Amino acid sequence: MENTEKIKTTAVKGTKAAQKVRGFVKNIYRSAQEAKAQGKKVSYVMVSSHYDEILRAMDIVPLPTENFAGLCAAKREMDRFLLKAEEDGYSQVLCSYARIGLGFDSLRKELGGIPENSPDGGMPMPDMMVGSSNVCDPRFKWFQATGRFLDAPHHSIDVVKPPVHADLKAVQNYYVRYQQAQFEELIAFLEKHTGKKLDKERLWETLRLGDEACRLWYETDRLRVAVPSPMPSQDRFSIMVPAYYYTGTQEAVDFYRELYEEVKYRVDNKIGTAGEQRYRVLYGGGLPPWHTLWIFNYFESFGAAFVMENVYRVHDPVEVPSHVKDPVEYLAWRTFLRLTSSHEKAKANSGNIEVERLLDLIRDYRIDGVVFHACRSCRATTLGQIHTKNRLSQFTDMPMTQLVSDMVDLRDYSEAQWKAQIGAFIEALAGREKTA
Amino acid sequence: MTGSIFACYFQALLSQDSPLSGYSWYEYLHDTYHNIEGNFFIDTQSLYGKENNSMTGSVTLEELYQCRSQRAQALHDAGQKVIGYFCCYVPDEIIAAFDMLPYRIQGSQNEPIDQADVHMETMACPFARSCFNLALNGKYDFLDGFVIPHTCDTLEHLYVIWQETRPLSLTHFVNVPHMLSPSSATFYRQELNTFIVALKTWSGQKLDTGKLREAVRVYNSRRAALRDLYELRKADPPLVSGAEVTKAVVAGMGIPATEHIELIRAFITEVKARQKAKKDQRPRIFLWGNELDDAAFIRLVEESGAHVVMDDLCTGTRFFWEDVPETEDPLDGIVTRYLNTHCPRTNLPQAATREADLENRFGHIGRFVREWKVNGVIFYIVRYCDTCELEGPDLREYLQGMKLPVLMIEDDYSTSTIGQLRTRVQAFLEMIA
Repeated sequence: MENTEKIKTTAVKGTKAAQKVRGFVKNIYRSAQEAKAQGKKVSYVMVSSHYDEILRAMDIVPLPTENFAGLCAAKREMDRFLLKAEEDGYSQVLCSYARIGLGFDSLRKELGGIPENSPDGGMPMPDMMVGSSNVCDPRFKWFQATGRFLDAPHHSIDVVKPPVHADLKAVQNYYVRYQQAQFEELIAFLEKHTGKKLDKERLWETLRLGDEACRLWYETDRLRVAVPSPMPSQDRFSIMVPAYYYTGTQEAVDFYRELYEEVKYRVDNKIGTAGEQRYRVLYGGGLPPWHTLWIFNYFESFGAAFVMENVYRVHDPVEVPSHVKDPVEYLAWRTFLRLTSSHEKAKANSGNIEVERLLDLIRDYRIDGVVFHACRSCRATTLGQIHTKNRLSQFTDMPMTQLVSDMVDLRDYSEAQWKAQIGAFIEALAGREKTA
Repeated sequence: MTGSIFACYFQALLSQDSPLSGYSWYEYLHDTYHNIEGNFFIDTQSLYGKENNSMTGSVTLEELYQCRSQRAQALHDAGQKVIGYFCCYVPDEIIAAFDMLPYRIQGSQNEPIDQADVHMETMACPFARSCFNLALNGKYDFLDGFVIPHTCDTLEHLYVIWQETRPLSLTHFVNVPHMLSPSSATFYRQELNTFIVALKTWSGQKLDTGKLREAVRVYNSRRAALRDLYELRKADPPLVSGAEVTKAVVAGMGIPATEHIELIRAFITEVKARQKAKKDQRPRIFLWGNELDDAAFIRLVEESGAHVVMDDLCTGTRFFWEDVPETEDPLDGIVTRYLNTHCPRTNLPQAATREADLENRFGHIGRFVREWKVNGVIFYIVRYCDTCELEGPDLREYLQGMKLPVLMIEDDYSTSTIGQLRTRVQAFLEMIA
């Protein structure tokens, strides 16, 4: 008989704020389901596309399909959706977030409604879908593909970033103009499908809230340089939810204010996360293993605390030129400045943006070792990790390891292999400690 | 063996110091062939009829296909700048207008990836990994610079890895919009302008608009020649095999366009002179996918009892089919042509209905299928190409709407795995026979 006992996937959180995030997640789906019942517009979205505040300003309820995939993995409810997508002809090496989304949409169509027992009640039928090229290719292609399973208009935008060696002064103008045009085309699409004009004052307001949440989150991260570490990485993978999924809202601002206060209190009173913090570890990159987040507690049992992350990073503060008076132009400038905030520094030093960021984190957060997570189905966040590791080793001799699985597809994960690799990593940390 | 003998002669010929340097490389290729035993087209001859002329075009193309870098190496040694590039989004015309040789970077399905994994994850496109592996093994040392367009996630990352691992004095990244809108064309044009500035700064030369206009004409002539070659596949049975055509296209991706045109024209003449084969009942196959710069898989399909008559591949029609409009400012035409390349990595604005949307996205394939009288379609997707993996099921729906059976294959870009596909291909062909 199948074992129906609930499988542990999540990690023990370090902060009270992180423990509140589950409510934010549940509310994403509840809000979308209620919105449909109330006749409000709901849109599938790709979060962190830099357009998030526009949707909030237009009262469109965002439904983040990637988050749903992560949620399915955390609940170990992903298999039926993955298998459905593969049955429909999608490759097993395709982005597993996309496979879960496509599989869910396919099943919903086949069953004529949301599949039973879908996590948090599942995703209702969207009124529209908005993708973007920010981060990776599936984020603009997925909604086009899911048109097989649902009849909703879709639109994607380009989010463009120049390479590190670009002459920023020479390209800035046309990058910003293109970004602005892409946002304007999106607004035209949203106005058409909501029948409502964008109120630019509302947009200024959501931008202000978005910037404020970002600032508070950034300040919280800076507090985390403290020893002992006041907040572990597993908390990060929860507390990113308000910034990513509630962008441009007062709730997000309130959350980060509370988080900041809590972390500050812990720093002021030297309250660390659970257990001995013998080694300070950096999560060097890659999407988290949503299916097995407890692994962070496993590291902690050996005295290795994850104190900082190089994923779901909060943007560095940027200053949009004061002559900008239009909120859409402001958004375009902010996007460009955020995406290029590390360019000049990287150009002057290692020549590599990732390496430069990691070197900064290693120095500021007093890191002893780095762990990367390679996801077999995510090229955008995985490709380049080996190279980054190779480049980093030119600057530091600290232990580094790359764990391999997937963000949601458990078939790519081996607990035994991970534990063996983690054991070797801990030994390397200990060996280095002795030498020091 | 023949290839290596030939390569030695070829290199000697093209050396500036060679007493043969005044001798046309083309004539030399031709004459040398007749002193070498063996015939590269034995298999396809039996299928497509016997030759009745000197085979000059086919032999030279075969040699170039086997030794793809030889001509570029020789030109580099003679002092010409050779610029490597990936994919279908870096305009050959711009590089050629600077009197440099555009060289489409290719991989090798025959050589194991023995170096690249030290630098790059194995879940990246194996074609890109193979190309990089060749570079690590010194096979691309003749390149003076390389340009990578932002076609996909893998190439974006490869740009950084390659640039930092095997740096060249010119490395450039062209951002290519994924969306098609008026603002996209403006942005792409500005990116090409930035690329032109990079070439100017690096070479110390100016871009002559007249030369750019001329390059557009030359490359359009090459496109016309290749389209004429593809026309020969409309016959029943086709006058030329799919494997031969792929070799002919790929062979010319790293040589001056004028030379490629000459070879293709000679090959067309040769094919037309072939004794016509009798009609047969073999299915006519359309091939869709990404990078297929080795004819092994096509040969497998043809040996399994089909004619491969048309394609939509990065190394086929996607690369050359549409002309660059000859506009007053040549950059206008170049922008229009390259940005509108039919590739899964580019999103067309959504049409009003699902049917209209599929027609909008795949109508060009529908036309190919009708005109080349296709009976079945094979998708050959080099693994880990997210945009192709997402596009495939939609294209299959479109083709099934045309009552065409589809076989979807995902492969590792290696001839060592191709044998495993034979059974699947044979079963598919039996099904549609």
